[in-house]
Amino acid sequence: MEQSDDICKESVFQRVYNDLNKEVWRFIYYKCGDSAQADDLVQDAFIKLWNNCAKTPIGKAKSFLYTITMNAFLNQIAHKKVVLNHAKLQSSGIDNESPDHVLQQKEFYEKIQTAIANLTEGQRTAFLLNRIEGKKYAEIAELLNLSVKAVEKRMSLALKTLRKEIGNI
Amino acid sequence: MDKDYILHKWMNDEASIDEIEQLKSSPDYALYMEIAEASTQFEAPINDVEANFDAITSKIKANIKVRKINPLFTILKIAAALAIIFASYVYFDSSNTTIRTQIAEKQNFLLPDNSEVALNSNSAIEYNKNKWSEQRELTLDGEAYFKVTKGNTFKVNTSAGVVTVLGTQFNVYSRDDAFYISCYEGLVSVTLKDTIIKLPAGDKLMIENGNLLLHNTKIRTKSPSWTANESSFNNAKIALVLEELKRQYSIKLTAKFNGTDHRFTGSFTHSDLNLALKSICNPLHLAYTIEEESVTIYAKEGK
Repeated sequence: MEQSDDICKESVFQRVYNDLNKEVWRFIYYKCGDSAQADDLVQDAFIKLWNNCAKTPIGKAKSFLYTITMNAFLNQIAHKKVVLNHAKLQSSGIDNESPDHVLQQKEFYEKIQTAIANLTEGQRTAFLLNRIEGKKYAEIAELLNLSVKAVEKRMSLALKTLRKEIGNI
Repeated sequence: MDKDYILHKWMNDEASIDEIEQLKSSPDYALYMEIAEASTQFEAPINDVEANFDAITSKIKANIKVRKINPLFTILKIAAALAIIFASYVYFDSSNTTIRTQIAEKQNFLLPDNSEVALNSNSAIEYNKNKWSEQRELTLDGEAYFKVTKGNTFKVNTSAGVVTVLGTQFNVYSRDDAFYISCYEGLVSVTLKDTIIKLPAGDKLMIENGNLLLHNTKIRTKSPSWTANESSFNNAKIALVLEELKRQYSIKLTAKFNGTDHRFTGSFTHSDLNLALKSICNPLHLAYTIEEESVTIYAKEGK
């Protein structure tokens, strides 16, 4: 890294924010399902990062932010349903499908959405980090402070639960 | 090959085409894949990156502002706190409680641990109320009777020596050169310079001028006689008896007789001067006159 990596410098801090705020925000959103709460937690985490800028090398900033938000979340009790958007689904044009199939598809996605919202917080976070954020198990394990085996277990359980909720189509 | 294992591989984008085919051949796993695939189509809501950053910077700046003023305030606060602590420490530490009795006055009181003290006339006790729970220690000048509640070591410092006990009843007399300790209950330990003497219940220890005078003198009363308004003596120097008399009655005493080494065994009351003088003088063949507050004791004539 040629650039200065002193987080205490405002420019560096801003760069770290731009790099990481989205993924941290989503991570915490998958946990709590509340945008306002996610905003608060992310803001607090970055403020803590700033206050500890001298002690935190830039390479540790990410795990610092995840840990802080995760711990802060554990201290708050909020069980809102995680509402996910269909943005991608709607934009991906489905021209040559029959209306019947479109309807079926829509129903299928709605079922998945509800089922995801009903997953336990631990399973949902791992599952969405992998599915939406495209993170590998090893990475998730590191972020959540778990073993890869534990992540595998959560993923398997999440899939089983989803399948059960959706039923046969 | 374990299908779960392949599924996880596939979820990590690490499965080969063969393996994917293998998964798809199983309806169960095909459904898993369909669900997993569909899940990737979702999106989290979009957060307001700018607004959050503004919120962060404004909060940080608010903190910095506070910080800039803070150091001085903090130092002042710490300094003030230290000053108060120091002042109170000095104040409390030196705030010894002193209880003093005048001539012809006796006082009974309780120490912070509810140990009872009876302080004889013209005596003083000094102790530290705040340190009492850590250290039961007091300084005695004169005579006092203690009923000590059980607990830590209870220490009585006198100019002649130190008396330590755990829980007991005992009397300490420390005036001028005389140092008498009577133990009424329990066990008392008396430290004299470098000697330690254990005094069991019912024993009296008499020390004069630092010399052990009498040991193993049995006491028959349950508490010192002076607590019952009577001074008792056993083979005591007449000077000592007269000193005690002067403490119990505010009188001017003149002794006009030879033989200050008369020894007196007996007691006198604290409530009737006439009777007290008779008790002292008769056995020793002495006579006395009382004129207002002046008492003169002289040898009986014709002897």
